[in-house]
Amino acid sequence: MQKMPMPLTAAAALIVLFFVLHGLTTQVAVAQDTGTPPVIPVTDDQVNAIAKTLYCPVCENITLDTCGTAACADWRYEIRLQLEAGRTTEEIREDFVRRFGDRVVGTPLDPVLRALSLALPYAAAVLGLAAAVFVVVRLTRRTDNPATRLAASAVAETAPRTDYADQIERDLAGDRL
Amino acid sequence: MLAEIGVFTTAFALLTALYAIGAALWGERRARAGGREAGREAGREAFTVSARNAVILTFLLLLTGSGSLMVALYTEEYQIAYVWSVTNPQMPMFYRLTALWGSQAGSLLFWTLLMSAFSAAAVTLNWRSQRRLMPYAIVYMMAAVAFFVALVLFVENPFDRWWILEGAPVDSAVVKAALIPAGAVAPSAARLAETANGLNPMLRHFGMAIHPPMLYLGFVGFVIPFAFAMSALASGDLSSNWIKASRRWALIAWLFLSLGLILGGRWAYDVLGWGGYWGWDPVENAAFLPWLVGTALLHSIMIQEKRGMLKTWNMFLVIFTFSAVIFGTFATRSGLVDSVHSFARSEIGFPMFGFWFLLTLSAVALILWRRSRGELRDERHFGGILSRESLFVLNNFVFVALTIAVFWGSFGAPIVSELVMNTNITLGAEYFKSVTPPLFILMYILMGVAPLSAWGVASMPRLGRALLLPALLTLATLALFVAGGTTHLGALFGYGIVLLAGWVALIETVRGMLARQKAHREPVYVSLLSLFARNPRRYGGYLIHLGITVIGIGVIGSTLFQQETQQTLSVGESLNIGGYSLRFDELMAGQISDDGRLMDIALVTVLRDGAEIAHLRPRRDFFPQTEGMNTMTIAGAHSTLENDFYVLLVEWEPINQNSATFKVYINPLINLVWWGSILLIFGTLAAGWKHEVLPARMRQEMRAEEGAAVPTGRLARKGAQ
Amino acid sequence: MTTVEAQQRDLMLDQQEVLQETADAPAVKGRRFGVGSIVLLVGVIAAAATFALALARQGQTQPTQGIAPDFALETFSGETVRLSDLRGKVVVINFWASWCGPCRDEAPHLQQAWERYQNSGEVVFMGVAYADNGPRSIAYLEEFGITYLNGPDLGTRISEAYHIQGVPETFIVGRDGEIEQFIYAGVSADSLSQIIDRALAG
Repeated sequence: MQKMPMPLTAAAALIVLFFVLHGLTTQVAVAQDTGTPPVIPVTDDQVNAIAKTLYCPVCENITLDTCGTAACADWRYEIRLQLEAGRTTEEIREDFVRRFGDRVVGTPLDPVLRALSLALPYAAAVLGLAAAVFVVVRLTRRTDNPATRLAASAVAETAPRTDYADQIERDLAGDRL
Repeated sequence: MLAEIGVFTTAFALLTALYAIGAALWGERRARAGGREAGREAGREAFTVSARNAVILTFLLLLTGSGSLMVALYTEEYQIAYVWSVTNPQMPMFYRLTALWGSQAGSLLFWTLLMSAFSAAAVTLNWRSQRRLMPYAIVYMMAAVAFFVALVLFVENPFDRWWILEGAPVDSAVVKAALIPAGAVAPSAARLAETANGLNPMLRHFGMAIHPPMLYLGFVGFVIPFAFAMSALASGDLSSNWIKASRRWALIAWLFLSLGLILGGRWAYDVLGWGGYWGWDPVENAAFLPWLVGTALLHSIMIQEKRGMLKTWNMFLVIFTFSAVIFGTFATRSGLVDSVHSFARSEIGFPMFGFWFLLTLSAVALILWRRSRGELRDERHFGGILSRESLFVLNNFVFVALTIAVFWGSFGAPIVSELVMNTNITLGAEYFKSVTPPLFILMYILMGVAPLSAWGVASMPRLGRALLLPALLTLATLALFVAGGTTHLGALFGYGIVLLAGWVALIETVRGMLARQKAHREPVYVSLLSLFARNPRRYGGYLIHLGITVIGIGVIGSTLFQQETQQTLSVGESLNIGGYSLRFDELMAGQISDDGRLMDIALVTVLRDGAEIAHLRPRRDFFPQTEGMNTMTIAGAHSTLENDFYVLLVEWEPINQNSATFKVYINPLINLVWWGSILLIFGTLAAGWKHEVLPARMRQEMRAEEGAAVPTGRLARKGAQ
Repeated sequence: MTTVEAQQRDLMLDQQEVLQETADAPAVKGRRFGVGSIVLLVGVIAAAATFALALARQGQTQPTQGIAPDFALETFSGETVRLSDLRGKVVVINFWASWCGPCRDEAPHLQQAWERYQNSGEVVFMGVAYADNGPRSIAYLEEFGITYLNGPDLGTRISEAYHIQGVPETFIVGRDGEIEQFIYAGVSADSLSQIIDRALAG
């Protein structure tokens, strides 16, 4: 009996099987339609808009709208059914997270994980920026070595912008950067 | 035979690499112990020369080894397990050869070959100029090479062959071994050919054939700056020598890495069928991380060259660039994170991790030790808040912050949440699109301002005056965008920031050109060429900035204004999107191609205002011989300056082929991403160009001008004082 | 605060310090090995330890002995069954999915084996639908006439606890709650019966 490794399992879902199942669920759906509240018409675009924000639970880092396997087609179909039943985007996403875990969304819905994921890079960036600005300000105020400061300002400030051609020549002649 | 050649040359390469390390260390030791006696000096010389020759020999041996694997791929030696797993008799010749890097074992060998090629090139080209740094540089380069050769030999051997043990029970009769085991016979050639796997269909694309070599060249190239930096730290020669030796190599590596990333994006756009070029996938990000740190390095290195500042920081950047390379390789090849691109899980995880850890820790410790001895002291202080060096510090902040954000999203958060919270999470495009834009905005602002700010001190009014013209031009360009129908405020803001950076780069170049032209009364193109020839780094840099600007506009346009729709059409029906319509003409199912793939092709026509503008053939390929990922969606695209009209065949009705489902994307300005990339590549080539390599005529002209140029500069300085 | 968070903060602080100290340098000659340096080194080691742990965990495979990880299965019919409540019985845990081909091959065998033990009250079969679509799962169960307990793997927590690498995979848990046998591929009714008998006897 053939054994399929997990990453490939979904990918390898057989085309034939897909069509068999496709026929099967279409019937199920039709059966459900009778006797239930009126079905809201749903376009592929509405399905894709939600599928775009969900990751295929069995593939690796592929969003549901672009995943080509039969299992993904199934999940897209499920999104459609839920939309037809009048569920909102948030409800559908929550349902997927409940069933497949937080890895099916681009950022976790779980508040702790979400805060951890999003706040940390911002905190790091703000801290880093503060550090960079602090360093620049501090180093700029230093005057313990007037000679180098003078030399630096002499080069930069005394060359007037108007004498641009001259500056270019000087740069090109010696000061290569 | 081929397998034997491969195994033996690779094994010898390991020995020569180890010998090079030993000889270089010994030569250096004797030189230190022996002072300047003539005899000892010669002895040291002999050992170091011998080490250099061993470096070159290592490369030649690995070249022979890889060559034999390539010949095996070419001649269909299916007994070699690697050849069996990545090719089959139906595959065209071109992809049979590129299968050398189609899977783990082969690509590891190829990667090692490239690393040893860089090492051989560095010892040859920098032999004279960096003589003092050579011994330790050889030690570090060869340590890295030896590690990878050992991986190839002992963990992922691409030369392993299939054998059948006669008389063994059925389930243990087939074994994989590099050399013939006792009592084993080779399996029948026909049976092997029949069962051969064939290359993963996703990789049968021209972009995929050249994307990995470029990426690998970019990765392994950073071993050279790393080796020179480590050599400086180890030998104590902490002058700016190592920077001179490293800068060009870093730029070359950066060039290849950029090319690799761009080609990877193009491949994703053409083959993966999701209408985009960058998915923030962990493997993509693993290649992006060294690019980000490397970019920070290329900027920050200038400060040290020009002003003798940020020495410790630059050391950290060099080391973390290479550390990021090894980390990325380790993360994607060991299955640490899951991704579409990752290699199958393998045993190389722990050895690679150990190597990464040892390398990073020892390098960091070495820096800290030198610093604690006061040997990495800065020579100058900052000129002012608006001085160019301060802005470069901010630039480094931006790139480091981007690195942290990308690292956290792809590796940090998923790993920590798995370990601590016991939950698998994905941080996808959603995360990156909310975290990175502020940093990219800051990057573009700095790109606009920093080139105008002088080294040392700059004042606000002067900066303001310099910004006036670019700002006005930016506003004028924005007005064009508004006239073209863009009203999205966020987009206009983004375009504005990006355009300012581009205009500054352009204006600075044009001003330089005009100034020269006025002074020398020469044709415009001569002035432009001589600008690039005389200061390739600055003007190459501006060209890169211009490329990044063009890419930025493309990214904003294609991200914010992408339109998509998916509809099912019967033959003859049309769908409408963004002023275009798409008509479904015919479905040709089950076309068989030479390499055995089955293609279902839809013929569609794109119309605008009722006029036919293109016929496209989106298709789905199915590879019946391949297990696993065996379908591929190939888009049909109509590219114009304005946008790409990108069609995917999603599904079709199998019985009467009367209807099919299409997904259509309109990707505005997406081609600017590719064109900007071309500018970026040219800019990098210019910036890395050796000044001396110029046409003879231009050199003559330059020599003639030299006399005129220098006095003017001196006079001006005197006059100002 | 997590370790990585702390490391990153430390790294930041240290960068800051690096920049500061390099400027201080002319005043002081030959500085000590500062706090920042130590923090940076510790940070590198801590980061490495995190990756090593993750790597070790990533390489973890299906348990083949010891106490079977506990879980609660919410079945399609709405009841909740906890593994630890089934001590004293032999439990067969089968991971499957409706989109998996080999699962379809083994489904009749599983049902057949279940029918052999169903009345003894000594054996419980639990089917865990891995990353499957609800209606599809139910259609699959109906198609094969499966009558033993079956439920979805909510949040894929059960399959993570058992480190499954694919479907189908089957675990047989003994009366003492210890894993008796792990079967990596599909099962046949007879081979499964043999294992169950052994577990019942042991």
